[in-house]
Formats: sequence, structure tokens, C-alpha cells
Amino acid sequence: MAGIVPEHWSAAENGNANVSAKGSSRDLRHGRTAHNMSSSSLRKKSDLRVIQKVPYKGLKDFLSNLQEVVLGTKLAILFPAIPAAIIATYYGFSQPWIFGLSLIGLTPLAERVSFLTEQLAFFTGPTLGGLLNATCGNATELIIAILALTNNKVAVVKYSLLGSILSNLLLVLGTSLFCGGIANIRREQRFDRKQADVNFFLLLMGLLCHLLPMLFGYVAIGETSPDVVADMSLNLSRASSIVMLISYIAYLVFQLWTHRQLFDAQDQEDEYDDNVAEEETAVIGFWSGFAWLVGMTLVIALLSEYVVATIETASESWGLSVSFISIILLPIVGNAAEHAGAIIFAFKNKLDISLGVALGSATQIGLFVVPLTIIVAWIIGIKMDLNFNLLETGSLALSIIITAFTLQDGTSHYMKGLVLLLCYVIIAICFFVDKLPQKQPNAIHLGHQLMNTAVNAIGKGVLSS
Amino acid sequence: MGSTVEPSAITESGNANANATVKGSSRELRHGRTAHNMSSSSLRKRSDLRLIQRVPCKTLKKILSNLQEVILGTKLNVLFLAIPLAVFANSYHYGRPLIFGLSLIGLTPLAERVSFLTEQLAFYTGPTVGGLLNATCGNATELIIAILALAHNKVAVVKYSLLGSILSNLLLVLGSSLFFGGIANIRSEQRFDRKQADVNFFLLLMGLLCHLLPLLLKYSATGETSTAMINKMSLSLSRTSSIVMIIAYIAYLIFQLWTHRQLFEAQEDDDDDDAYNDDVTVEETPVIGFWSGFAWLVGMTLFIALLSEYVVATIEDASDSWGLSVNFISIILLPIVGNAAEHAGAIIFAFKNKLDISLGVALGSATQISLFVVPLSVIVAWILGINMDLNFNLLETSCLALAIIITAFTLQDGTSHYMKGLVLLLCYVVVAACFFVDQITQNGAVVGLQPMNNAGGGLFSA
Repeated sequence: MAGIVPEHWSAAENGNANVSAKGSSRDLRHGRTAHNMSSSSLRKKSDLRVIQKVPYKGLKDFLSNLQEVVLGTKLAILFPAIPAAIIATYYGFSQPWIFGLSLIGLTPLAERVSFLTEQLAFFTGPTLGGLLNATCGNATELIIAILALTNNKVAVVKYSLLGSILSNLLLVLGTSLFCGGIANIRREQRFDRKQADVNFFLLLMGLLCHLLPMLFGYVAIGETSPDVVADMSLNLSRASSIVMLISYIAYLVFQLWTHRQLFDAQDQEDEYDDNVAEEETAVIGFWSGFAWLVGMTLVIALLSEYVVATIETASESWGLSVSFISIILLPIVGNAAEHAGAIIFAFKNKLDISLGVALGSATQIGLFVVPLTIIVAWIIGIKMDLNFNLLETGSLALSIIITAFTLQDGTSHYMKGLVLLLCYVIIAICFFVDKLPQKQPNAIHLGHQLMNTAVNAIGKGVLSS
Repeated sequence: MGSTVEPSAITESGNANANATVKGSSRELRHGRTAHNMSSSSLRKRSDLRLIQRVPCKTLKKILSNLQEVILGTKLNVLFLAIPLAVFANSYHYGRPLIFGLSLIGLTPLAERVSFLTEQLAFYTGPTVGGLLNATCGNATELIIAILALAHNKVAVVKYSLLGSILSNLLLVLGSSLFFGGIANIRSEQRFDRKQADVNFFLLLMGLLCHLLPLLLKYSATGETSTAMINKMSLSLSRTSSIVMIIAYIAYLIFQLWTHRQLFEAQEDDDDDDAYNDDVTVEETPVIGFWSGFAWLVGMTLFIALLSEYVVATIEDASDSWGLSVNFISIILLPIVGNAAEHAGAIIFAFKNKLDISLGVALGSATQISLFVVPLSVIVAWILGINMDLNFNLLETSCLALAIIITAFTLQDGTSHYMKGLVLLLCYVVVAACFFVDQITQNGAVVGLQPMNNAGGGLFSA
């Protein structure tokens, strides 16, 4: 896989993506972060010839706009999954089908949202654009989380956000370093560790916020009633969330204003022969971009609603636990576009961008989406704290520590990527075999009998493979 | 300590093997040697063949010289006497603690000789197979003890001895190397290449993750989940993780022996400081033939198995009569003995300010146990139908976690001084003290007081 696909992509990319690889200072002028730059590698230049033949001017504009937005990505083939999911819901198809189709449909939408925010950044200027990007970069995760909250599925929210951090740290980073290491096995692979370090402080701070409410539960002695403990943990979580949001704002200030030079270190390696110094211009207008963004967000919300509503049924009929689906499957789909982008940049030995994507996205979820969800839950009166049980917090802690150690020396080789990938595999296996009933309210309660047979079947399946 | 090392360093000047080892490490790697083996060679001495030359019969002469190379080729050969004594004590039913002690002493020189023999075989098999052989047999003693303890269904002893081996490599061997190296070279700068050390730490952290998840799985279970179900989940998780760990170990071997070999021969550039005036560039040649080496290897392995059998069978008795818990004996005493040869080697290289080799020994050995011996034991247990998982209780896992993290932080900047070594050593003392006072009965494994009658007529009654 590694050899063929990226070759093909990088050839097609010469039109558009190279621009983002080339002039990163120009990118930052438009408020782009590494996160957005990677998605752009999935774009293609749309061919406007057919549309030029349309006589009527208004229609022509409309069509070219449509083509830019809908067909401007290589993931456009996945768009038919969206109407299919809607039709499946209307005609009462089986729920696992709806779940699967919605998941597939979310992939291109996530990429398009980041395209649209980038387009809007041309009009709003760098600062506002940077803020917009930083906020909408993980819009899919945020929307899924908020919808799951309104359905009172706190466990799904926690698991999907945790899974998103894990998948960014271990899977996205691991495959990037591994593929990059294999492709550039004879070349030295360097990156700037200062940028990576900033992310790790923040992630470790997030870890502290998750750890403390959990430890509350364990230090409580017999005479404290569980209600008191839950109350304390809730208050602590809400206060910590506010602190986390403050630190995220400080991080944005640091990244977009005061220490911007840290984040465009990849400028000097311009020896790739892309002599098409194309000026970047906005391909769609402000208001049409804005309308599209609102529309896309609504469609994402619709699909997320389907995903949240059907997750339990899908879990039962596929024989996978809800925690496995939320921690492993949801984030893989939600991060697919960034994932592909990070790998492509790693192939070109531009590790700074790959790292920026993976770590930036993890930080964003850890310090922005998670506390925002807590605050939203607070507003709508749901008791959600930062306590992600023992197993999940342990996985998170070790993932952060392993990744931080891996990136300590500013160089990379394939072994680093492989170890991260294998760690992800181990964590995935752990949640695959984990059939413990969840403590959260509204979690599904599988019967004991069913659970045992499921464990048996899965155990055999895993072991025989 | 200084007095024991000084003479050995002097003896080495005449020693072909050790000098060549220190000097040309690329040559070493051509013969598939790893740092692990290189350190053991510092314990070797050139055998004096004059006596044997007088023996008239040709075949007899060959056999004798061969015997001398193998048996007397190490400074630890005094300890070989413990082997017949242990066998003798066992057949005359002496006290079990005595058998235990004698077997432990007897294992020390055997561990060193096995690494000598694999190195000799590597001359014939070429670098690749030789490297693989070394990587596999480097911790043969630990592996054999683990498998025999498994066969006796003493899962706790297996877990504890392997954990202890990792701890002793990380804290004791590394700590004393850095400490003595720091004292001896207090005025000169002590540098090492951190890339090599880093690779080991990723792998150790990955191993830690594999131990942590089954542990957490157990603690996060709520009241209503039955213990049997948790054990089942933890078991299937451990078995699949073991397979992943072995895949990681294979990738590590590929990384070390093929694709990134240059990372592991970084110590070559400090050749120019030939302050040690060893201008005798002796070519390394094998001192024994392939088949005789192979036969010796098989024989040694059988002896190791025999002594390990004694050790495993008598460990509870020794624990009772010495007043030490089985935990303490398995975590602290067994690994000190099993690693003695490497330990001495690592310290000697640290004295010479060749920290890269010392680090390679200590970290390489820890990685090998954590990612090869441990998962292999789990898989062997699976084949034997024993329920062994990767869950090393809370106290042990946290000691491991902290040992890895402290050592990793210690080695972050690529330089060393005696304080680093001292801190690691003191950490080991604290861990040892913890297991010394820990008299909590082991849970989980069936350590049971089985009848010990299989010590005499055991699997390997030679």
C-alpha cells in the first residue's frame, strides 16, 4: 500500500498541495495551521471546462461553485453515502447499515469543513482565520460529542474524545513516522522538537485534569458516600475545564501571535522541484463559503445524530462493545483526512507538518473539545466529569509518555513509528476484549449470558487469527 | 571493587578476545556480536596451552585443549565446582537450602560460557544467523529457569524472576556501571550515544503498556463482574499482546542487525583515544570447532536446565529456612546471579569510559527479557495450558514503571556522572528493601507448597 498510493497522490498534488508545502509562511499569513495544510493534500484541481460551456451566467457561477466544493476532494466518491444514509433511515433499513453509511459519509465532510474554513480565512485575515481553523479543525468530533450529550450518552462522548486523542498520538503519528521512515530509510529525518514539546506540556496538563477526579474516587474511604465523591469530582472537573480552556486560549495566542516562528520551521527545505509558484486565491466567495459551511455543519449534525442513535444496535449486531466502537472506530473515521495528509507529508520527509497535524489535533481535542463538552453538559444540566475510568486514563497516560519519549531527540526512524503503531494495536486489543459493563448511566447492559458467549467467541476469534 | 577490576583489566591486555572487542566494534558486528556478548568476553582469559602440548596422543591432546578452552577459559571457573557439589548434595539429600545455594552459584559461570559458545558458533554461521543466535541465547539462563518454573506451575516465580531481571539490568547493572565509571573517570567527560539507548526505552515502555493494561482491566472491574470473566479477558489480552511484543522484538532485531546497524556501532569513533597502548591487533579466530562448540552448547544447556530445576524445586524451602520471602528471592537474588557475568562486564567497560558498551549490555538485556523472554513464557504457558497473563500485580508493575522512567530520564542528555549511577543504585536498594519487608502472600498464581519430591527424579536427572 505504502509504495503505490502516495506516489499517485503526490503526482496529482503538484497543482494544489505543494503550495501549502512550499510557502508555509504564506500559509500562516492566511491563518492556516499544520492541521489544515495536511488536509489540502487530498484536494484536486477541479476541471472547469465542462462548466464553461453552460451559457447562462448565474447558473455557470453556481455550478462552478458546486464543483469546487463538492468535487474538490479525492474523497468525493464517499459523498453518495450521505443520501444513502438518509434514505436508509427513511425506509427503516437496519440500524447497523445506517451507522456504517453515516460513518462513511462523515469522512469527506470533515475534510470539506477544513477546506471551507481555509477559504473563509482569505476574507477574514490571518488572525480571525487562525481562530476559525483552530476551532473548526475538529468540528466533527465536537458535533458528535454534543449530540451524544443531548442523548445523555456520556460514555460515548468520553470514549470518542479519548479515542480521538489516542488515535492522533499513536495511530496517525505512528503510521506517519513508520511510512516516512521506510520511504526515507537512507536519509536523515529531522524535525523541530520545540513545537512538539509545547504540545506535550499541554497534553500532560490535560492528563492531570483527568487524573485528579479519578483519584478522588480511589482515595475516598468507606464512610464518604458516593454522592459526595461524585459531587466533588464534578466541581473539580468543571473548574478544571475552565482552566483548560484558558490554557488553550493561551496556546492560540502563543501559536498565532507571539511565537509564530516556532510553528513555521519547515520553510527552509524547498529543494523539491515544484516551480509552479502559484498564488493562492480564494476559489469561492465569502458568503457562498459561509453558506456552504453552515450547510455542511448541518449535514454533519444529521449524520452524527444517526451515528449516535444507532451505535448500540450496531454494537450488538457486530458483536463489538460500544467502548471499542467509540474509542477505535469513530476516531479512525473522524481523522481519516488528517491521517492521509500526515502520511503524505511524512513520505516527503516533511515531518514538521506531520507532527503538527497529529499533535496539534490531539492537543486541540484534549484542551478544547473535552472541556467545552464538559461546559456544554453543565449548561444543559448533565453531570459529566473528567473522570475517564482507570483503564482509559492509564492508556492515555502511557500513550502521552511514550510519544513524548519518542520525540525527544528531534530525529526519527521507522522503529519509532512501528513502536507507536504496535502500542495502538495493543490498546485496541485491550478495548476489543474489554467487555466490562460501563459505570455510566444509560450505558447498555448486556446480559451476563450474552457477554460470556461474546467473550468466548471473540477470544477464540482473536486467538485463532 | 577497584582491586578486583584492576587485575582483570591488566590480564586483558594479553587477552585477544577482549582487546579486539574493545577496539574494532565493526568487526564485532560482522560476526553478529551484540554489546551483550562483548561484555561477557571481558571475563575471559587466554588459556595456557603449554601443559597440554606435552600430551603425546593427538586426539587426547585435542580433547584436552578443547576442554581447557571451554572450561578454564573464564575467570569464573572456580565456581564450576559448585555444579558437581549441587548434584552430589541432591542425590545424597542434603538440606534443600544448600542445594539451592549451590545451584545458584553453579549457574553463574554457565551463563557466561553459553554466551562464549554462541559467539564461537557465530564465527561459522556468519553475522546474520550469529546475531540472531546471540540475541536469542543471551538470556538463556533466565529463559530456561522461566520455562522450568512454568512446567512446575509456579507462575509467580516466573513473573517475579523476569521482572527482577529487568529491574536488576536497569537499576543495578546500569547504576553500578555509571557509578564506578563516574568515580573512575571523574575528571574526564563521559559521553554516550543516546539514540541507541532511546530505542530500548520505547520498547521497554511498550512492554510496560502490555503489563499495565491487564492490571488496570482487573482494577476497573465493578463488583458484578465475575472473577472468572476478568481472568479470561486478561488472559486473551495478554496472549495477543505477547504476539505483538514478539513482532516488535523481531522488528528490533531487523533494526539492530540490518537497517540501522550504524546506530549500534557508534562507539567506534572513540578509537582514536588509544590511551590503552594495546597495539596488538590480534585477529579473532574461533578457538573451537563448530560441532564441538555445538555439542558443548547442548551440554551446557542441559546443565543449566538441571541446576534451574534444582533452583525451582527448592526455592520455597530455601525461602522458609532463610526467612526471606519467595518474592524477594525471585526478584532480587535470582537475577543478581543470572546477570553476574554481564554485570561484571558492564562495570569493566564503564571503568574504561566506554559507556556505549555498558549501556548496550544493560539496556539490551532488559529489552530482550521484556520483549522476548516474557512474551515467549506467556506463549509457552499457553501451549502447556497454564493460565499465565502479563498482569504483574500493582507493586511490581509500578516498580517497573518507575524504574523505566527514572532510567530514561537519567539517560536523556548523553552524558554521565557518578551521581546518576548512585541514584539508580539507591533506587534499586529501595526496591529491594520493599520486597524484603513485603510478606504479603502472593495472590493469583498457584505457588502452592507442592510436594518437592520431583527435585530428585525431575525432568533432567543427569
